[in-house]
Amino acid sequence: MAAVWRSCGPFLKGFAGKTSQIPNNAADFIGRLRPVPVLILPVNYSSYAKSPFVYKIEERYNYDVVKKPIEWKYVERLLPFETIPNPLIKDKYPSGWVPPKEEAKELPYFIHRSKNHFLPVYLKISLRGSKKISIIRKIDGDIWLLNDELKKFLKDKNKMYVETRVHELAQFIEVKGDYVIDIRNWALSKGF
Amino acid sequence: MVVINMVPVTRFRSAPNFMRLGYETGNLLIYVFLTNRTTKASCKDVNTQKFPLLQLQVMLETNRIDSKQPIDLCTLCNTGLVSIKPASMEFGFQLTDEGADKFKSKICIEVQHAKESVIAAIERNGGIIRTAYYDPRSLHVIKNPEKWFEKGVPIPKRLLPPQDAIGYYTSAENRGYLADPEEISKHRLVLAQKYGYDLPKIEDDPDYEMLTSMKDARQLFYGLEPGWVISLKDQTIIKPKECTQ
Repeated sequence: MAAVWRSCGPFLKGFAGKTSQIPNNAADFIGRLRPVPVLILPVNYSSYAKSPFVYKIEERYNYDVVKKPIEWKYVERLLPFETIPNPLIKDKYPSGWVPPKEEAKELPYFIHRSKNHFLPVYLKISLRGSKKISIIRKIDGDIWLLNDELKKFLKDKNKMYVETRVHELAQFIEVKGDYVIDIRNWALSKGF
Repeated sequence: MVVINMVPVTRFRSAPNFMRLGYETGNLLIYVFLTNRTTKASCKDVNTQKFPLLQLQVMLETNRIDSKQPIDLCTLCNTGLVSIKPASMEFGFQLTDEGADKFKSKICIEVQHAKESVIAAIERNGGIIRTAYYDPRSLHVIKNPEKWFEKGVPIPKRLLPPQDAIGYYTSAENRGYLADPEEISKHRLVLAQKYGYDLPKIEDDPDYEMLTSMKDARQLFYGLEPGWVISLKDQTIIKPKECTQ
């Protein structure tokens, strides 16, 4: 058992300068037979009890607080927008993105665009790549009519019967197979 | 956890099976992750996230990115569609030439790596492209500036690229940010002759000031100096009076 010397000021004052045998410590008593000077250890900052209080924090830098600075426009440029902005109307879109048309709203069914302004037609692949399903989401209106028209279109194009699954409540149609490009072009031709 | 010893996996009353060495309970395996990655900053086409020109064009058309202002890593991350993982040793974005033929916008863009064909596609339309280096700490700042400003920490100084990457960023062929501007304008002409297009005159452009707005090598954000503390709530900037470093 090692002795723990507390470096508290008032406690040590009694021992400072005195040379005597250490009374309560059995191991030291056996080992040392002659008087040992008591050491005052330096202040140890490793614990809350031992470190002195901090009274004054000096500021390291001189600074200016500038209210409504000229450079604020550069700060505003760095902040993101809160909602996704709407696309601007232009004559041509060279990348191949097609905006939705107004005449599509007159049809008995409607396909909304996603929040990033794209058509909600996706490909689901499962079973290690052997199962492919094309899904059209966000369908409003007469979904069964859309289903019939889509099936007819895909059958004429691919000369093959195409199976679909209609989910009226969740507003989607699943087409068995990879017909994403055909479905997208069909939807764009309708103006969605 | 990574499996480094033979760890038996038993179910009730069955013979023990051992998980294969290196298995990380479904995470991307470290030996797969590191096959195509290096810690070297010089291997830019491996360390940077690919950003096709086609996606950039679509973003500009759908008003996701404002083409009237310089584009850098911050604007690309602020779109919300792409982000950088500096902790996974990603150094930024590289522009790929997918959609280079369809690219028809005049922009001032700053990326971390770009191929020659990409540089040609942007300069053909009267734009300016620069490649710049951000050290990993600066990447954390620039990837999400709003989050950094909310911390109340002063904007740090951008560090210079490491030894193996300095060659890339001082060469005018790669349009490095540390390269000689005269060399860059010479190489613009060289590239125009190589790819066969007329180099548009930027000096006559009404957007000349925006196109030539360049960040300093030590600056993280254009217009804002390192050492400033920005308070978003009070709309104030705290600027140090003297330079103490």
